[in-house]
Amino acid sequence: MRQMFRLKNLTITWRLVLWFVVVALMPLTLFGYLSLEKSGEALRYETLMRLNLLSDKKTLEIKTYLAERREDAWLLSRSKLVDEAMPVLLHAYSQHGSRSAQYLNAAKPFQRSFAAYIGSGDSTLFYDVFLITPKGEIIFTYQHEADFATNLISGPYRETGLARVFNQSRMTLESGISDIEKYAPSRAKAAFISVPIIRDGVLLGVLAFQLDTQRIYHVASDSVGLGKTGETVISTYYDTQHVMYIAPLQREIELDLFKPRDFGLVPLPMRQALSGIQSGGIVEDYRGVKVLAAWRYLPELRWGMVVKIDADEVFVPLYQQRKNLLGILLALAVLGGLVAFLLGHQLVTRIKRFSSTADEIARGDLSRRVEESGSDEIGTLAQNFNRMTENLQISYRSLEWRVDERTRELQVSNEQLQEEIIEREHIEKALRDAQEHLRIAATTFETHEAILITDVRANIIRVNQAFQDTTGYCAEEVLGKNPSFLSSGCQDSAFYAEMWQQLLANGTWSGELWDRHKDGHIYPKNLTITAVKNILGETTEYVSIFSDISERKRAEEEIRNLAFYDVLTQLPNRRLLLDRLHLALSVSARSGLYGAVLFLDMDRFKRLNDTLGHGCGDLLLIEVAERIRFCVREVDTVARFGGDEFVILLEEVGKNADEASQKAALIAEKIRAALSVPYKIKEHEYHSSPSIGVNLYCGNGSAVEDLLKHADMAMYEAKESGRNAVRFFDPVMQHSVSERASLEADLHRAVPERQLELYYQVQVGRNQHSLGAEALVRWIHPTRGMVSPAQFIPLAEESILIIELGDWVLDAACRQLAIWSETDLTRHLTLAVNVSGKQFKQRDFVEKVARILQVHQVDASRLKLELTESVVLNDVTDVISKMQALKALRVRLSMDDFGTGYSSLSYLKQLPLDQIKIDQSFVRDMTFDQNDAVMVQTIIDMAKNFGLNVIAEGVETEAQKILLEQLGCLNYQGYLFSKPLPIARFEALLKENCKLRDVACG
Amino acid sequence: MLTLLIIALLYLQQGQAKPKLKIGVLHSLTGTMATSERPLVDALRLAVEEENQTGGVDGRQIEIVVADCRSDADYCAQQAEKLITQDGVKALFGCWTSACRKAVKPVIEKHHHLLFYPVQYEGLEQSPDIIYTGAAPNQQIIPMALWALQNTGNRFYLIGSDYIFPRTANLMVKDVLLAQGGKLLGERYVPLGSGDLALAVKEIAALHPDFVINTLNGDSNQQFFRELREAGISSETTPVFSTSIAEVELAAMGAEWMAGHYAAWNYFQSLPTPENKKFVARFKQRFGADRVLDDPMEASYIGVKLWVEAMRSLKTDNLSSVKITLAQQTYLAPEGIVAVDHDNRHLWKAAYIGRAGADGQFEIIWRSEKPLQPAPFPGYRSRAEWLVMQRGLPEVQP
Repeated sequence: MRQMFRLKNLTITWRLVLWFVVVALMPLTLFGYLSLEKSGEALRYETLMRLNLLSDKKTLEIKTYLAERREDAWLLSRSKLVDEAMPVLLHAYSQHGSRSAQYLNAAKPFQRSFAAYIGSGDSTLFYDVFLITPKGEIIFTYQHEADFATNLISGPYRETGLARVFNQSRMTLESGISDIEKYAPSRAKAAFISVPIIRDGVLLGVLAFQLDTQRIYHVASDSVGLGKTGETVISTYYDTQHVMYIAPLQREIELDLFKPRDFGLVPLPMRQALSGIQSGGIVEDYRGVKVLAAWRYLPELRWGMVVKIDADEVFVPLYQQRKNLLGILLALAVLGGLVAFLLGHQLVTRIKRFSSTADEIARGDLSRRVEESGSDEIGTLAQNFNRMTENLQISYRSLEWRVDERTRELQVSNEQLQEEIIEREHIEKALRDAQEHLRIAATTFETHEAILITDVRANIIRVNQAFQDTTGYCAEEVLGKNPSFLSSGCQDSAFYAEMWQQLLANGTWSGELWDRHKDGHIYPKNLTITAVKNILGETTEYVSIFSDISERKRAEEEIRNLAFYDVLTQLPNRRLLLDRLHLALSVSARSGLYGAVLFLDMDRFKRLNDTLGHGCGDLLLIEVAERIRFCVREVDTVARFGGDEFVILLEEVGKNADEASQKAALIAEKIRAALSVPYKIKEHEYHSSPSIGVNLYCGNGSAVEDLLKHADMAMYEAKESGRNAVRFFDPVMQHSVSERASLEADLHRAVPERQLELYYQVQVGRNQHSLGAEALVRWIHPTRGMVSPAQFIPLAEESILIIELGDWVLDAACRQLAIWSETDLTRHLTLAVNVSGKQFKQRDFVEKVARILQVHQVDASRLKLELTESVVLNDVTDVISKMQALKALRVRLSMDDFGTGYSSLSYLKQLPLDQIKIDQSFVRDMTFDQNDAVMVQTIIDMAKNFGLNVIAEGVETEAQKILLEQLGCLNYQGYLFSKPLPIARFEALLKENCKLRDVACG
Repeated sequence: MLTLLIIALLYLQQGQAKPKLKIGVLHSLTGTMATSERPLVDALRLAVEEENQTGGVDGRQIEIVVADCRSDADYCAQQAEKLITQDGVKALFGCWTSACRKAVKPVIEKHHHLLFYPVQYEGLEQSPDIIYTGAAPNQQIIPMALWALQNTGNRFYLIGSDYIFPRTANLMVKDVLLAQGGKLLGERYVPLGSGDLALAVKEIAALHPDFVINTLNGDSNQQFFRELREAGISSETTPVFSTSIAEVELAAMGAEWMAGHYAAWNYFQSLPTPENKKFVARFKQRFGADRVLDDPMEASYIGVKLWVEAMRSLKTDNLSSVKITLAQQTYLAPEGIVAVDHDNRHLWKAAYIGRAGADGQFEIIWRSEKPLQPAPFPGYRSRAEWLVMQRGLPEVQP
């Protein structure tokens, strides 16, 4: 610094002057200039905004004015006035002409009414009103100018603004507004607004208003707020290339207002306005003068509007400000320089003094003070400096003291912290201990046994996880509830009452009970309830501990099963069998039905066990049990009696001893056969067979033990007879069973060994003349003699023997018919043959009959097949089709045993029968049983109704014959006429009859 | 030194970047409406880019935030809400279908926000918060129907898609044409997008109308003109006047099918004004020479321009001030002078009728004398009457 002083050789005084000029005056000048610029800009902006606002306001005023006039027009077009005026005026106009007195009279009242819309003086809104027909005829105007009664489509004013708005409203049904342009009839500029007159969707005409243009001009040219030089310029298109001013210009009075001007020569703002570009700015106006302007476009009238004010007027305040600023700056510079010099000089001396004192203090002498008495900045500075030095001294001292203080404080708080840490450690340890206790309790609580804790009012307050597992309920569902909702209802209230009593008395209860799981199943549980008491001995809680003992119960069941069932074969054991036998005997006593006990022993079982080992023996027994079970009904009991002995209890096998023995024999035989089939045991084929003893029982006449003993004895008999056999305990039964078996065996040989023979029983007509015969099969057994059909036919029907038998009968009958056809005496006879169900069901039965007839060359109509109802009842459609096929062969069909089955009229009607045979049971009793007589009568009547032949069989007495005759049955068969006879005797009988009736007998 | 520092500071302050102005665009970039609406986004982009090149608004650049409406009106309304509340846009531009507009309108009005809607529509609507830059019926379909009546004959047939625009517009067409002695031979609506036009074409072939007013939208048009051609119905005998086929649709469906038939719009790419020629050139330079411009695109473009003009003259982005200024805003658009109607915030527009050529452009055969005042609610019925009638239309649910 000092060096710089020396270099520049300038005192601080001159420096101050210099700095004042450079640092203070220059920025001041600059800021002055900038602020001037800024205020100029602001002024310009503000003025332009004002112009914008004004021009917006003006256009809005015009828009509003036009919109209002349009609304006026719409209102008038919808008014009653127009309603009334249109038809009246149109009538007068078209009928009498526009100049007629009638028209003038008609128009007069409306003239007055419309005057209200025209207004007057300052309130004038419209210049004229027009009513125009859709065809363009102006039928009414208020002003009555030259346009009245002309046509706007074809007349002289078809090119005017009026015609254009009329067309627009007429076509688009919308309002229309015209530009302002010259209108000849008014000899002035004019603008029009039009609206359609519509009633019920029909265009009645157009209403048009001629606007009062003066009002629009007035709005436009109002220069309020624009100052002295402000002006609004309005122009519009004259044509596409030319523009005209439509309001007078202030500065060029002499300008011809409506003269078209070339578009390109018009000042820019107006050109832009007319092009729809709205803006504002500093521009040159039509005089070439700089102005501030805003310009607008008015779509309604297609006007361009420029609102402007001369720039000079706007910026006058700004020019004044500039001059003032310059003067002030100059004065400031001179004055400022002078003052700076004086001040600088004074300052320097004082600062030097100050400086030397400060230097001493800086060297460390804090007790030194500046000697300065002034109260100015340097004086204040000196005082402050002195105070600072003083403060420095004090601060230094206080700092030392505070360091000591702070060190003490730190020590104290350190000790406190230490104590706190120790205390915390104690607390933490206690906490850990408590947690440990809790953890043990919690672990115990979560045992596998369900625990339920209730308060003293038996509301659940806690349960463990095992509880949830056992009952299915989660804790949220049960808390607060009484545990009774777990109850299955299997225990009655007495049970619970007793439980509570014990609990209250002893403070504990345990036992088994059944509860219901959440999913609905019932389970047994072992429950212990303990009352928890506080120190005073009052019960505070009840703790129930229980577990689901379903598993244990199941195990018990298993054990029970073992007691009743054989482990190896799973069959009932001896104990259960005895149980069942007792039961079966009492059931039989009630029902009176026979049952049977089969005692079965496997032959040579010991040998199997000895040779192949017990394992194989066991396997055999399992297989045997399986096979037996397969042979009997579900309800029958198959029991393992011990070792290789089995007992089979067949209940309800027959109504009488005979039937029961037959069936029991059948089942026993079935079992025997099944058990005789070789066994496959561990790859060995093993042959074995059973010996079976059968004993029947009925009622509880005999003891269970006897029953078994007798069956056992029968079994031994079977074994003794050579094993693999069935034996009955009762010799009579044994005989009957054996007899039947041998008869069946013999029957097999009957056909091939020609032991069968046909017998013939005559069928007679009204005068006992022979109509034919029924062929009946007889079995002449070489040793037994004649065997009754009642004996062997059922036997045959049980097997397919019946078909063989039937075929033989059919064949023999046809052979006989063939023989008969050769003599006159027998040529007319029919031969009836019984057909069994099995036979008829054969698919080729009809073909078989046809073939036999063919073989013997027999007239089919001589063969009569007798069907029983039971045949017909099965598969009616098949039966009917077969019968129809037989009918087609001309074979006759007779219904045997009619009335014994369930024959109904409806199906009888469908069957192609020739004859009905009244069953002998009805015939036998009809003479003394009125019911049978009625039955017979009914059958006969029915047969007649269906046009069927009817024959009675089993006629044995004259009385029967007479009664039948009276009832209308004229054909008979029975012992009254002849029993079944061999052919030779039958033919003899025929001859005899013939002779008796004294007719030619061939 | 200090002086220099101060000057530098002032300079920096002057040059400091101002925050961007965001505008929201609500158009479907996916879904069935994408074909029609995508080009509108391009038109908006062009307008914004032009404005940004000339300094933006008062030095602030404009940033477009595009929301894909996915051709779903309700989704579009959600996007509008998002643009307003989250993105803080200063204005919204978008919607095509009336359904979309009607879904977005309540959102705009709830926030007293600002929407520019660029498509011609059925009218019977106005909102203090929506600027309709497309045509009202009296600026498109009505002049077209009248021209057809005067130049072809009075027997006419109406075919349209079954939704609010055709049904409502045809109410007005019938009013006007029947009042002029027109005879309605038949009127048929097919579901939107339906290709089953055989019945209508059969009917047209049988009735021989002097002209057909076609308010079909979308793909149905191609099928319609194809069936007409197959039925031997030519533009000479039965010209069809369409409201919803512009250059973009014509390019999509194949121009040859519609050649000789007519369409009415407020803008055609073929308009010979100097403003339009520059507009077309700028667009093609930006998006490709094979691209075409049409009415809704130009209307979208106008929307941005009107908004920017209003913002510039105001020097504020305060919404209510902007809306007040917009109500009197005018603009020299490619289609000619347009001006916002102070009362209903639709645009004064000139109407044009064009005959489709095989080159996919329209030859302008008629133009309105001057811009037509928009009349969203035609004056010959009260607003209440119109709304009741509209509610009574089939397919129009409140």
